[in-house]
Amino acid sequence: MKGYIGEFEELVLLTIANLSKDAYGVAILNDISKRANRKLSIGALHSTLTRLEEKGYISSYLGEPTNERGGRRKRYFEITDSAKAELSNMKALRDQLWAGSKVNLSVK
Amino acid sequence: MKRSSNPPILAEKLLKWHAGKADLEDIQGDLDEVYGLTLEQSGKLKAGIKYWYQVLSLLFSYGLKKRKSKAAYSPFYHKNSTAMFKNYFKIAIRNFSKHKLFTSLNMLGLALGMSICLLALSISVAIYQSDSWQENKERIFQINTYVADQEDSRTFASTFYAMGEYLEDQYPFVEKAVTIRPGFSPEINHHGNKMKFQGYFTEQSFLDVFSFKLIKGDQKTALASPSSIVLTQEVAETLFRDEDPIGKSLETDYGVFNVTGVMENPKQTHFYFQILGSIDNHSQMTARNAANEWIDFKWNYAYVLLDEEQSEDNLEQALNQVSTHAASFNPEREIELEYINLEGVVPRWNISQALGIGWDEPSMLFFLTIGLLVLLPAVFNYTNMSIARALKRAKEIGIRKVVGAEKHQIKAQFLIETILLSVIALTGSLLILYPMKQEFLGMIIGGDMLDTNPNLAQILTFLIFSILVGLMAGLFPAQYFSKLNPIQTMKGEIKNGKNNVSGFKKGLFVFQFFLSLVFVIGIAAMARQHTYALNTNHGFQSENILSIPFERIEKQVAIHELGNHPDVKAITTASSLPGVSLNGFIDVTSNDQDTIQANVVFIGDQFIENLNMELKWGESESLQRSNQNEELVLVNEQFIEAMKVFNIQKDTLRFTLPDGTNCRIVGILKDFNYEPLNELINPLMMRYSVANSHFALLTVSSSNIKRTISELEAIWQGIDQEINFHASFLDDDIEDAYWFLRVQMKFFGVLSTLAITISCLGLLGMVTYTTENRTKEIAVRKIMGATNYSLYYLLTKDFLKLIMISALIAIPVSYIFYDKVLLYFLIRYGTGLGILEILGSVLFLFLVGLTSIYWQASKVTKANPATKLRYE
Repeated sequence: MKGYIGEFEELVLLTIANLSKDAYGVAILNDISKRANRKLSIGALHSTLTRLEEKGYISSYLGEPTNERGGRRKRYFEITDSAKAELSNMKALRDQLWAGSKVNLSVK
Repeated sequence: MKRSSNPPILAEKLLKWHAGKADLEDIQGDLDEVYGLTLEQSGKLKAGIKYWYQVLSLLFSYGLKKRKSKAAYSPFYHKNSTAMFKNYFKIAIRNFSKHKLFTSLNMLGLALGMSICLLALSISVAIYQSDSWQENKERIFQINTYVADQEDSRTFASTFYAMGEYLEDQYPFVEKAVTIRPGFSPEINHHGNKMKFQGYFTEQSFLDVFSFKLIKGDQKTALASPSSIVLTQEVAETLFRDEDPIGKSLETDYGVFNVTGVMENPKQTHFYFQILGSIDNHSQMTARNAANEWIDFKWNYAYVLLDEEQSEDNLEQALNQVSTHAASFNPEREIELEYINLEGVVPRWNISQALGIGWDEPSMLFFLTIGLLVLLPAVFNYTNMSIARALKRAKEIGIRKVVGAEKHQIKAQFLIETILLSVIALTGSLLILYPMKQEFLGMIIGGDMLDTNPNLAQILTFLIFSILVGLMAGLFPAQYFSKLNPIQTMKGEIKNGKNNVSGFKKGLFVFQFFLSLVFVIGIAAMARQHTYALNTNHGFQSENILSIPFERIEKQVAIHELGNHPDVKAITTASSLPGVSLNGFIDVTSNDQDTIQANVVFIGDQFIENLNMELKWGESESLQRSNQNEELVLVNEQFIEAMKVFNIQKDTLRFTLPDGTNCRIVGILKDFNYEPLNELINPLMMRYSVANSHFALLTVSSSNIKRTISELEAIWQGIDQEINFHASFLDDDIEDAYWFLRVQMKFFGVLSTLAITISCLGLLGMVTYTTENRTKEIAVRKIMGATNYSLYYLLTKDFLKLIMISALIAIPVSYIFYDKVLLYFLIRYGTGLGILEILGSVLFLFLVGLTSIYWQASKVTKANPATKLRYE
């Protein structure tokens, strides 16, 4: 089933891909706010993560307990193959559109 | 990362509460991390605010909602899992059958402990259900009177004499009013037998308003005319057997009555009567004047039946008006009329002069408390034993916990087990309850009026009670088990493996044995009073005296003929037997103004001499020489004491009786107990009259008393064949007068048997447990050469110490309780509590305790140590 991926969802997926092994809640949050300069609450992030998980684009697992978080485990996310396929579909579409553009899109 | 400060607790709690069972671990970790970061960068306040913001964003987030709904359908936990309960039941039953000894000890203990409570509950439920069967119950109200004057303020169940009629006349919404006056206690003379019955004077509306059914006679007119009387079935059967009583006339000391109805025996009602007489007879008898009708309110009860459409508010308004009306007759008193619905009449917390038996809540509560006193030790036992045996079940709990059982699940498991046990114990308890109830209801007045047969309310009460008992007994162990650390239990490191009994349990033990001892001393005290009362000299001779009731026989002839028998040394007569309760007082006026109340006894010739009574002053010979103008009487010292208070100008030895008889005292008797020892010595007056005597008292000395009595009977039959001869020894009559002591003894007997059994069961359980735990130790000791004696000493000393402590507490407490309080009420002129009784009781308890310890201890000490050591 092909689900629709929104702009923010795409951002989260790519961030997870960027962080690879370190992709857990706070890391994703910090990365997005740094790169995209967006203010983001944990609630909003987890809502998106839950939706993505439901659509089958990411999977999650609990890590080892660490002393840092009072012994609480982190939940790590990784993107699934269907997410990879969807992302590359979107990228291919975009590349196609970029290449075919009659207007010069580069900003001077 | 350093954590110098914690995130806001409130926010944390809010999140946890909102999340419920959903797993939050990672989210909380994220929150904490963000908090830590912000704390380092921008300080505590900002971090706190941000934390709150994050929490709030989570509360409304889709992510958390999803997790919550997922958690609710988790395959590992379901709220109403019947499978889980099934499992609990199965485990409970398996546990019961695995530990048969402990289960049966606990079950027996709980069954015995619950029995008294069940008795109290059963009776209470029956009392609360009184009159609930009456058809018009919602519309019937009893009128009560609150009276306050300078000395006292009380609410009386009774009301003014005029009340019933007044309400019916003045207020149309009162459909019918019923006036009831107790005190109708005629002696019915029937075929030569005099029988006394208790009942009410009342009017026809009684039969209309209340739903008592007449078996014979007309329900609509039975009490309408004067001198009519309605009998209960029981009375009708005693008097008439198979004959039809309707239309028969009854000769009584209240005049002649016509039987107009026979009523079904009243049950489940607050009324207590055998007969109902027409109220007109009461009015004629007392000849009240109109003014008194609004002043006297004692011994007059009014009930009203309201119209179907009317509400209670009307009655309240009406009563307010009537209160003002009544107050105008009673300027010195504050009067307020109240009403209570028929169903609420019994039991009440605090009411004076209740009609009938007057069941009240305080005494029901007292009874229940006694029941709880017996029950509590049984509950303690259960708690004690379950915790002591934690070792055996700790592994089970450990595994449950490791597999994922939560605290509340462990708790539920143990509570269900205990409740199951207590419900099973309930069935056992019901078996004891039945005979006990019969006995007890027979002992209390009005017990036969109560319907304690199992009905829905009774059964529900019992079930709820047993579940509560189960909860009570199981709560503590459940709490304890749910807190066990699974790792420790799996390693077998549980802390409870001590050989000694902990302080808390020691306290429980001491309490149990204290209670048992108090009860045992109670029986001993009663028994002592009983023997004392029978053997003590009441102040007159009671041995070798035959008492013969001689009511209708020719008295002078009987005295003469019986006195001629060679074995009869002396003969006299009296109106009531000495040593037995008297009834009724007579007003004695000494100076034309003041009166005292005195008991009256009519005596025959030589009464004082034959019974060896002691005179302080004067003589008794001249009693017969009374003449028209004055009667010569004997009095006791109390009589003179009472008279002293008055200012008597004239002759101090003269006084008048209400019927105008002038009396002169010719002798003063030393004070003695003419009545049983529990009665105060009251002013007493002895008048000479053979005609008014009811008993012939024969002083006999005979080698063969049976033959003498049959010869006396022959003489009696020679005088009058129709009248039955009945002779008994005065000693036996006096013994019968102390029935109340025997009732008390029975009561304490049951209580102490229960308490001791329960305590011993508890003791047995603990001893079994400790000896089981010390099997190895004892085996080693034995191999090292310990003697049997030293082993017994080792096993018993702790428990003996505890029993000793409880005895030390129980002795002073029971001394104060029995000697100073209880016995004083029961027997005013008794001897109090003796050392011998206390010592005997303590010894008895020690013996019982030792026996139960010995039973278990000998098992261990006699075992072959080699097998015991190999076993482990």
